[in-house]
Amino acid sequence: MAFREKIHWVTLMTMILAFGWYFFAYPWQIVGSPAGVTTTAGMLVPVTIAIIVMMTLATAFLAIRNPREVDTREDERDRSFHRRGTHYAYYPLVVGIWINIFLIFWGIGQAQQLNLMIATLVVAEIVRIGTQLYLYRRGA
Amino acid sequence: MAKPPFTNDIRTLRFLAGEMTQGDLGDRVGVTRQTIAAIEQGKYSPSLEVAFRIARCFDKPLEAVFQWSDDAD
Repeated sequence: MAFREKIHWVTLMTMILAFGWYFFAYPWQIVGSPAGVTTTAGMLVPVTIAIIVMMTLATAFLAIRNPREVDTREDERDRSFHRRGTHYAYYPLVVGIWINIFLIFWGIGQAQQLNLMIATLVVAEIVRIGTQLYLYRRGA
Repeated sequence: MAKPPFTNDIRTLRFLAGEMTQGDLGDRVGVTRQTIAAIEQGKYSPSLEVAFRIARCFDKPLEAVFQWSDDAD
């Protein structure tokens, strides 16, 4: 498995774990209240720190184990995978944004909007990375 | 993705070029070993630039490396 593919696996697992914890541990009973926004902000801090720490440690570990591939730049095949991943990620992003727009007119609270936007971003990222991993696995 | 409508002789040419590895060819062409492997297996269609670079590595014309499949017409 190529170094770049391993990094994508680490990113995918990190995203799923960090935001899985966020959405699992979030106190949904207060999402409609003003405290929901501060709770979101407060929970995003450890999520962000966890992502940075996990990615840094995993990248360093993989770089030490694969020193020859560390400086390898993205080639045209990597870039084509990246483009396709971004293309497919665009769809959940658009759907999430439109749902959010409609729900704002519906009158949902700030914390609910915020969480919907976070969920949209997370789904889009998972689709982007997942698409790239699928293409790497298929060898296309 | 559908298979490219052409085949290639990269594996044979590598062998004839002193058993050049996929990694060596990739380094000379400017792509990864995995990309060379994917091209060899017909899973990835390279850009015209990379195709020409591969042919130049073997000092061959492009059509000596890549051949259009008749059944692809």
